[in-house]
Amino acid sequence: MPTLQEQFIISITSHDRVGIIYEVTRAIGSLGGNIADIRQSVLCGYFSMILLASFPPKTTRRSIEGKLAEVDSNSESAIETVVRKAENNVLSYNSSVPENAYVLTATGHDRIGFVATIALFCVQHNINIIDLSTTVSNGAYVMILIVDLNHIASICEMRRDLQKFTSENDITVVLQHYDIFRAVNEINLPIR
Amino acid sequence: MIQPEEILKTVDMIQKENLDVRAVTMGISLLDCRRATIELTCEAIEEKIKRHAAHFVETCEAVSAEYSIPVVNKRIAVTPIAYVGAGFCAADFVKIATALDNAATAVSVDFLGGFSTDVSGGTLYGDRELIAAIPDALTSTKKVCASINVGTTRSGINMDAVVLLGQTVKDLAERSRDQGGFAAAKFVIFTNQPGDNPFMAGAIHGLGLPEVVINVGVSGPGVIARALERRIDQDSDRNLGLHDLAEEIKRTAFRVTRCGELIGRRVAKALDIPFGVVDLFLAPTPNVGDSVGEIIQILGVDAIGAPGSTAIVALLNDAVKKGGAFASQSVGGLSGAFIPVCEDRVLANAVRDENLVLEKLEAMTSVCSVGLDMIAIPGSVDAATISAIIADEMAIGMINNKTTAVRVIPVPGKEAGEYVSFGGLFGESTIAPVRNAGKSTRFIQFAGKIPAPIHSLRN
Repeated sequence: MPTLQEQFIISITSHDRVGIIYEVTRAIGSLGGNIADIRQSVLCGYFSMILLASFPPKTTRRSIEGKLAEVDSNSESAIETVVRKAENNVLSYNSSVPENAYVLTATGHDRIGFVATIALFCVQHNINIIDLSTTVSNGAYVMILIVDLNHIASICEMRRDLQKFTSENDITVVLQHYDIFRAVNEINLPIR
Repeated sequence: MIQPEEILKTVDMIQKENLDVRAVTMGISLLDCRRATIELTCEAIEEKIKRHAAHFVETCEAVSAEYSIPVVNKRIAVTPIAYVGAGFCAADFVKIATALDNAATAVSVDFLGGFSTDVSGGTLYGDRELIAAIPDALTSTKKVCASINVGTTRSGINMDAVVLLGQTVKDLAERSRDQGGFAAAKFVIFTNQPGDNPFMAGAIHGLGLPEVVINVGVSGPGVIARALERRIDQDSDRNLGLHDLAEEIKRTAFRVTRCGELIGRRVAKALDIPFGVVDLFLAPTPNVGDSVGEIIQILGVDAIGAPGSTAIVALLNDAVKKGGAFASQSVGGLSGAFIPVCEDRVLANAVRDENLVLEKLEAMTSVCSVGLDMIAIPGSVDAATISAIIADEMAIGMINNKTTAVRVIPVPGKEAGEYVSFGGLFGESTIAPVRNAGKSTRFIQFAGKIPAPIHSLRN
């Protein structure tokens, strides 16, 4: 029964090199851990991974940390880990993008507080950010956010506020439904 | 998850490159609206259109707002009216046009197409009355558009009708003299007219279609032009062949069609109406950066109409169809590139500069998706010459198994080189000369029928 298992969220950061995923997952496997979901990315040469795994009953945070410390001690670069027990009742296995997902792109000059400015707007309008990445395009700093608009009061009102927000902050913002991006970039048409 | 570069490319396409859904068209069958009297028939027609299209425009606008992609026109296409009104006289057909106009106004659509019939195999009594009613019908209404199919590859060209319609075009222009002959812009003559096209003035809801259907016309010449420019810019140091550019057009057409399919399906679902086709046509608007002519120039001719222009249109038209065909479950019969002169600033300028002439346009239409479209010609051109222009264009369609159409506007009181403006999406243009006008009279006087070509015998 999966409910008897202990669920842990483990995050790993390190300088990127060959073999980190193998070493970490082998260590988890040796404790009987079964990986349910995993996200990994490399940011400016820095490896970062977050995973959810279920372990046999009575596995403790300490035992996982101990095993991963062994990986760290054998590694040429430091591997930092954070292990946390997950509450079963708050886990959501639905990793698909929600129905009311939009893509928000914000373009402007690189400056301190850029991301926070956009994030503040999202907070004020009850917009949940599902995915966030940044890139540089034509010399400008571009934030790409996938946001969930299921909890906003009114999209029309929010768009009006967004317009005001962009002119006040000298940022170009485009908010477009996620379906459009899927429709034009994927083979399957998103039909709801 | 979609990659950031793909997201940025898509954002550019929508925000900077004039991507829009040009038209969402609701097709409505009116076959069951025939009643004993013209008054009752008109009542039934109005009632049915209002019933089905009551929430059509607001639904399009809601979906458009949700996706933040403009839906430029909301239109209705109805069963060719000759089928509904057969047995009524011309004056009664004008009353039907008024009923259609009232219904279109009541549901706030931009245009309504279907004051139409098919006479390719012969002209019935009802067809004759409908044709006789066209000048009155189109000048006494605002939103009604008319079209007549005079030929098919299977049955040849009805030249008796072509003779009649040359005069109809003249009458329409003459009766709207104060608007530069604008009524003629609401009338189009076809060969192989598709029954499900969402494009005005030729939209109809053909026989054999569902009771009500949603069709979508997507445009996007601006998107394709920018994609080609980027590609040429990026790969300038490599040997970029036309096949590479065709591929770029195809891919971009896929993206553009997908947006239309998405929006059309959402509108259809919200209204609980079956979804018909997406017509991906590159139809320009008079806006800068939204031009098919510009694409032709990007593909390598400095003046549109220069040798090579026809080959370019052929490449463009085919690549657009290929991209669209894969993007949509069902692509409409008119997909391809349109070259409506008045509606395309770059084409209109080419006519002004005398680079693009009627004969070259005709050649280009043999490989584009429709035909001689929105061309202003001198008001002095006689009806027989207009019939002969129609006959030439119909012959191209008949022989090549394709749709061709003619929508010319003989601008009353103006001559070649003068200028006419129709306003809005209908655009403006210098009046194109018609060479050899008046020299086809004997041909037109023969009338009768041009027999179907040998390859109509396909069974």
